[in-house]
Amino acid sequence: MTSPTDHALRLPAWLSSLFFLALLGLVALTAWQWRNGPPISANLLQLLPSGAPGELEQLAEQRVQAPLNRDLMLLVQHEDEDTAVALAQEVAGNLKASGLFAQVRRSVQADLPAMRQQLLDQRLVLLDRASREALIASPEDFIQQRLQRLFSPFESTSLVPVEEDWFGLADLAQRRLPHPGNIHPRLDGALLAEHDGQRWAVIHAQIHGDAFDDKLPLLVDDQVRAARHRVESQQGELLAAGGVLHAAYGQRQAREEASLIGSVSLVATLALLHLLFRTSRVLLVALPVLVGALSGAAACVALFGQIHVLTLVLGASLVGVSIDFPLHYLSKSWTLQPWQAFRALRLTLPGLALALATNVIGYLAMAFTPFPALSQVAVFSAAGLLGAFACATCLLPSLVNVPLQPWAAPLSWAERALALRQRLLGRLPSSWLLAGFVVFCLAGISQVSFKDDLRQWVSRAPALQQQAERIGQITGFEPTSQYFLVRAQTADELLERQEALGTRLDELVAEQKLRGYLALSQLAATTVAQESLHLALPRLLEYSQPLLALGMTAGALEKELAALQAKPVTGLDQVLAGPIAEPWRPLWLGTRSDGTVAGLISLQGLRDSSALHGLADGIDGVSLIDRPAELNRLFAETQRQAALLKMFAAVVILALLCLPFGWSGALRCLAVPLLAALGSLACLGWLGQPLTLFGLFGLLLVTAIGVDYAILMRERIGGAAVSLVGTLLAAVTTWLSFGLLALSSTPAVSNFGLAVGIGLVFAFLLAPWAAKTTEEPAS
Amino acid sequence: MKRLFNSPCWALLVALSLMLAPTSRANAFDLVQLSLQLREPTVVRGTFTQEKYLRALPQPLVSVGTFVLARDRGLLWFLQDPVQQDYRISAAGIARRTPNGWKQTSQQGPAARQNELFLAVLQGDTEALQRDFELQLTGTAQAWALTLTPRSRLLAQIFSTILIQGGATAERIELVEAQGDSTLLTLTDIQIDDQLSPGEHHDLAD
Repeated sequence: MTSPTDHALRLPAWLSSLFFLALLGLVALTAWQWRNGPPISANLLQLLPSGAPGELEQLAEQRVQAPLNRDLMLLVQHEDEDTAVALAQEVAGNLKASGLFAQVRRSVQADLPAMRQQLLDQRLVLLDRASREALIASPEDFIQQRLQRLFSPFESTSLVPVEEDWFGLADLAQRRLPHPGNIHPRLDGALLAEHDGQRWAVIHAQIHGDAFDDKLPLLVDDQVRAARHRVESQQGELLAAGGVLHAAYGQRQAREEASLIGSVSLVATLALLHLLFRTSRVLLVALPVLVGALSGAAACVALFGQIHVLTLVLGASLVGVSIDFPLHYLSKSWTLQPWQAFRALRLTLPGLALALATNVIGYLAMAFTPFPALSQVAVFSAAGLLGAFACATCLLPSLVNVPLQPWAAPLSWAERALALRQRLLGRLPSSWLLAGFVVFCLAGISQVSFKDDLRQWVSRAPALQQQAERIGQITGFEPTSQYFLVRAQTADELLERQEALGTRLDELVAEQKLRGYLALSQLAATTVAQESLHLALPRLLEYSQPLLALGMTAGALEKELAALQAKPVTGLDQVLAGPIAEPWRPLWLGTRSDGTVAGLISLQGLRDSSALHGLADGIDGVSLIDRPAELNRLFAETQRQAALLKMFAAVVILALLCLPFGWSGALRCLAVPLLAALGSLACLGWLGQPLTLFGLFGLLLVTAIGVDYAILMRERIGGAAVSLVGTLLAAVTTWLSFGLLALSSTPAVSNFGLAVGIGLVFAFLLAPWAAKTTEEPAS
Repeated sequence: MKRLFNSPCWALLVALSLMLAPTSRANAFDLVQLSLQLREPTVVRGTFTQEKYLRALPQPLVSVGTFVLARDRGLLWFLQDPVQQDYRISAAGIARRTPNGWKQTSQQGPAARQNELFLAVLQGDTEALQRDFELQLTGTAQAWALTLTPRSRLLAQIFSTILIQGGATAERIELVEAQGDSTLLTLTDIQIDDQLSPGEHHDLAD
């Protein structure tokens, strides 16, 4: 079968052996990397640059993110409240039994004796500011109010009995503690939330570990589905919200999409190739794609420890580009007859190597942006292309070295198309077309919105979003990613600063711009405030006549005051250790190594984040952490940086292209992809689509792929028509992998697919201009 | 921190809702009839005496005042002696009168939830009561006694029983707490009317 010339053209045998060795190594490496299950992450935060530079900021971020990632809230509603509670009990039991949760709570399990003890021991430090001030300003009124509470039929009974709290300080402290949220125990202890006349049984669960641990979200999601099924079978309604459910949705969606888009594009591509080349041997071109995907994933895991699902979706299709390598030389079979794989490879190798180099340069430029998301995709693609190229050159030719008789029709179509183009150019010169194109581009680009938003990175799950919003409305728990970080020299200073900020936040709450907040200053008084309270206590005795009239004895009152005054002041850490402090505990960041202290103020149900800006002005040591805004700023910055890097890459590619083509040829080859990218950007504008960071990445990809086409058309191995067929084939296969991404439900991915899909059309249409104009197409 | 109960309030409302029933039926008196009777009068006025017996004090805390109950509107409770304080319970919750007008007391905590239960009671919804209590009615429409026994263990830790007695109207409500404290509420000078005075109207509308 092989001719002597074919033998001579073969690549050296050691190269194939080396490739096999490398392939074995790659498979072994991948197997080792996947030894503990797939190293795939769905944690969006890993794709974002860490905006929190300091250790303290990171700790704060962790504290704020923890409930967003770990909490799962389930609400059960039924016409009959008791059925709802019974269903909630059953569901909570199942959740507990699953072993996935560190905690499942559906009823009050408050340790009342421990709470009572803390109120007794710490009543002075727990007393709220208004009550402290009232006591100091007018002990008489304070006693009068105590009397009112004793007589009132409408005040709740106190945890601390009267005989241990004659002056009612513990009673008042208990009363004035803020109650975050709208969840209350029913008379039998079951937690309920009421909204719009409906009562919902509440289950609050916390998962073990993190929402983004690989298998956990799907398992938790299964549990929630089962619970929903159970509740709905009883004509009840179940609402569920939690970061873990979003993670599960994202994982499912990404996996389904990756496999759907991946398999559709693979099947369509292979069917097309089979149709054109009429031998199933040609289907082996899938091999470089596989090797490419394997190398890309291995490189990512080796460099980043994990591979993100978003990278996998984007990267898997990027490798679809790698199918172009074998296609470039296989398409030469239309004219290079009799077909000799090695000869075709030898002829196209310089062009292929050039295309590889320009592509890898294009991708690697992206790796230098500070965005881990782009770095991951860039590394995946660059490594994937290298792997695919190696496979396409070292292994594939010997596998497809069989007689090839491609379907002749496409070649004649290409010849006709080229002739048509020539006639068109005869009537309408290139410069006119260019001018028209530029006008189209400018008009389109002026309509592009460059707004980027983190929300575009996650696939839309309207059902989940809607449930989360309803749960927020019903329970009053609407965790917010914006928060305040307060630093101070001492705990007292920290409490003072939080109190000052709290007063301003109270105004926002009154204006209904904010639902509520949690601050350490709501819980504990400063030691200074406790000391002034100590000083004011004896005056209570002077006005205690009304209490004596009720039958309290002077001795008992004196004894209580003496005991209170004898107590040393209570530190913030002591207060936080008690059971009452549970909701506030995460806010305390502790004492830093330099002796300073730090604490958070967390916000609930923020309606207008702009209301927070400037709110802390004039209070030292307070910083507003607005992560979403910060990220959106970073997006914009990265866009600019990515564009600059790409320009730099273009210069390098230009220099590279100068070697074979000279200055004017290189410029021509580079102009094709750049114009294609512009055209695609303009189309996004015309379509009313924004340019996201990933869209930009898509445009950069278009320039890289466009260079390939330009090189192919420029080199014209086997003639212009053959090159055009080869380019079309490459474009169609690439389009099959990228264009399909436009259908993704993740806005960022879909935007990327659209940008690439449109750009490819332009790159193909413009590619013939890369050739020298003076020559007639050779045949 | 759970503010669990608002016990006297409870008993009061049960009683007030039940006392709106000056009827004379011959057949056996049951809960359904009782709740139907509750919905009849528009306005009820009267005076109250509340005696709170605390274990810690040798003598009861005695307070007196007047009240106005308006169907579907709410309850005004004017504590007059030994301290003065006006309260209002409505769908919006419990409010206290301050020099600056009505001020809603903290609606957080179970009190907010209880409040809706109270209103269910005001409207004669014995069904809602039966969720948390065993209801036992004895006697006739002219002289009846209703005993409320908590169903849940948690509730039983607070109350042992609530006993309401009435003749033509409810007259005596006794609430016994599990810890030994108790409250006795006596309602006298009951008058039924079909409309609110302008002042009461204003207080309930605000």
